[in-house]
Parts: sequence; C-alpha cells; structure tokens
Amino acid sequence: MRLIVHNMLTCNIKGVVNKFPLRIEAEKVVIKKEVDFNTDFLRHMLAKIEWKALVDGARSMGYTELPDHAPEAEESYSFLKKFHHALLELHLEEGSLVCQETGRKFPVEKGVPNMLLHEDEV
Amino acid sequence: MKATLAPSSLISLPRHKVSSLRSPSLLIQSQRPSSALMTTMKTASRGSVAVTAAATSSVEALREGIAEFYNETSGLWEEIWGDHMHHGFYDPDSSVQLSDSGHREAQIRMIEESLRFAGVTEEEKKIKRVVDVGCGIGGSSRYIASKFGAECVGITLSPVQAKRANDLAAAQSLSHKVSFQVADALEQPFEDGMFDLVWSMESGEHMPDKAKFVKELVRVAAPGGRIIIVTWCHRNLSQGEEALQPWEQNLLDRICKTFYLPAWCSTSDYVNLLQSLSLQDIKCADWSENVAPFWPAVIRTALTWKGLVSLLRSGMKSIKGALTMPLMIEGYKKGIIKFGIITCQKPL
Repeated sequence: MRLIVHNMLTCNIKGVVNKFPLRIEAEKVVIKKEVDFNTDFLRHMLAKIEWKALVDGARSMGYTELPDHAPEAEESYSFLKKFHHALLELHLEEGSLVCQETGRKFPVEKGVPNMLLHEDEV
Repeated sequence: MKATLAPSSLISLPRHKVSSLRSPSLLIQSQRPSSALMTTMKTASRGSVAVTAAATSSVEALREGIAEFYNETSGLWEEIWGDHMHHGFYDPDSSVQLSDSGHREAQIRMIEESLRFAGVTEEEKKIKRVVDVGCGIGGSSRYIASKFGAECVGITLSPVQAKRANDLAAAQSLSHKVSFQVADALEQPFEDGMFDLVWSMESGEHMPDKAKFVKELVRVAAPGGRIIIVTWCHRNLSQGEEALQPWEQNLLDRICKTFYLPAWCSTSDYVNLLQSLSLQDIKCADWSENVAPFWPAVIRTALTWKGLVSLLRSGMKSIKGALTMPLMIEGYKKGIIKFGIITCQKPL
C-alpha cells in the first residue's frame, strides 16, 4: 500500500467520527521504484493530498525527510523528489491501519489493505 | 460456515453465491457454505424491495464464500479469458463466430458502451477519480484510468484478486493511478462524495442487500458524478404482478441452488432504488441480446483441451457448475434472465 492510497482510506465503522487518517503500524516496508518521477503529476497531487496524514504516514514507515508543511510557493526540485518518494515509493507490505478513534486494526497483507468490517461494526 | 441446512430449505431459501455467473467454466459449487445466505430479498410489491436478514453471520459466510471462490478461480479465468471478468458486448444477431480475440474486444466494447450509455464519454475531462466496486483483477479500472487519465481505486472481497490487480497495475506502469483494496461494497472505506464515476460492472449480483449496495454507491459519488451499474437481473414484473411465475422462479432457484446466489431483483428495482434516493437522469436498458454470444463462447472455451484440463484440475465443483450453464442460457432464452445497465447522475 502506498501513501497515495492511504490518503484516501477511511475507517468505515458505524458511528465513528474521527475516520481519517488511519494511523500506520508498519511491520514490513519495501521501497518500490515502479513509478516515474513526473512533476506535473506531483503538483496535481500536491493540491489534493492531506499533508499531515502523508507526513505522519511516512514517518510511521521510517521516512522523516518530509517537511511539516507543504511549500506555499513554487516547489523545489528536491522537495518534489522527497514528495515523490513518500507518496509513491514507500510501500507498506505488512502492517496495520489503525482507526484513531476505536483502535481497530485493519491488516495490510502482501501490500493489500483489508478494510472488511466485522458484524458488530456495521 | 459450518452450519448446514436441511435439504428442504435448499429450495425455499436463496443461498449465497459461490460461483460467478459469467464464468461458467470456473463455477465452483461449494458444499461447505451451505450455511446459506439468509438475507432474502423479496419484492413485496411491484417496485419495492424488502430485505430481511435472518442471521448476520450468514452475511459474513457469504462474503467469505465469494472471497474464497474468486481466490480459487481468478487465476484460471485470467489464463483463459484475460483480465476482464465480464460479458462481451456484441451486435445483436451476429452470426459470425468470433475468435478469442474477438471476444476480448467485445469485453472492451462492453466498457465503452457502458460509458457511452451513461453519458460519460462526452464529459470525460470531468472524470478525475473513479471507484470500481467489485473490481475483479482490475481490468475495468486499468482501462478507465488509461482512457481518462483518472485515478481509480478498486475494491474486491478477494485478497488474491486485489494482489493480482495491483501487480498488473505495476506491470502496466499504472501504480500511481490505480490501486486495489479488500473491502466490502456495502461498507466502502471512503469519504462521502469522493468519486466522479462510480463503476459496478457485474458485481451487483453478489450483493445480498441491494438497497444498501445502491446507497453506498450513491454516498461515495461526488455531486454531479455518474453511477454505472451493469448487472444480471430477472425480468421486470408486469402491472399487477407480485412475483415471477412459479416456473420462472423455479428455474432461478435451480440456478441459485447450484450457484449459491442471493435472490435476484429486476432492473426496475434498481431504478426505483435510485429514484427513491433522488438521483437524476436515471436510464436503463436491456442488453440481453447484446451479450447472447458470450455464454456459448465460454462453454466452447471450457470444452477445448486447455479448458477441460483446467476444469478437471479444478475438480467436481467446477464441473458441476459448468454442467449448469445451460440453465443460464435457458433463462435468457425464456426471457427470465436479463442483462441490464442502469445509470444515473448525482445532483449537484
């Protein structure tokens, strides 16, 4: 699971208010360089990404290079490289996504988050 | 999953689906999930759909059964038919017997025709984010992401499918655009209003609660976004008809029994659900004639040397399922089973 996906996932347990973001507990992180560096795409994503979730997610996966805030003005090349790495190259292979409100853990196995709810959660 | 029902209840209760309708060569009839789906859909009166859930654990059993089925059979389907796990779209009455590649093209055409029917094609610049509900191994997602340059997330109950879908996306350099998760279409892990296009290609059949399914599709659709549902239905009921004729229901029950399907609904039922949720521009069509060549084609691939070997490898359940395919074709020919498309737009 990449952080670009993590930035979209919410806890869907009934009644939960604090659904996003899910906290990451990383057990196995893999660097996957499968996506080309593309500044247009990155700038497009920058406008949509929830930044704090990205920074916290990256830290949970062992990457601490991202600034606390996204740049206001023109982004530097080095910033975009870091953004690219965090967004698209950090890959959670094994671990959990944790609901901040309930503590419920959604497993991530072989890079695939499992967001299925139990009966008592719907 | 350990509970079993007495034989008499096999007839009366629609049981959960363990097999895919559209890949008869891969049909697996599992005896184990005879802990049946007890969520029943009854058309109480024309146009209204009531859902009763006898035991919620049976819904989990259904989910597990669907997941296990697709975990076991997706690889086999992909080997023979490729990464689109849906019907092809054909010109009606086309008598030409198509090659394998002709059928692949027809599967692509199904996607294109669905987009066109929904009015998406003219507005493609507006499609930025797509959800593929019941995504299989991601054929539609990757196709649509490539076509529109959109981001697409797919959800499936099958971990094997999700992994395969992600691997295929990586192989096609689409990892930044498409991703796949294990999630329930009835409880989508997304915020409200997230998607410009909500896509459900032949997954509605698996949903034990059609009303909840449709509500979730609508919830995650963005204002102004479009919803496309392509699904198997039974024929619409006529004025004054409360239910299908007994002989029609019997045919469906036999199919349900073998393929473990939840109760079917009609295209009209979907339309009514969407109307009740105040969707706009609701359209529907019967594409039964446009998919007619598909089942015979699947049977033919099952009867090839490769197909037979694969079936034998899969075991008795697949073979039994394959032998039940003629019932599906019969259902179509007698006008009981319909291949429907229902599309709409969420108000701004």
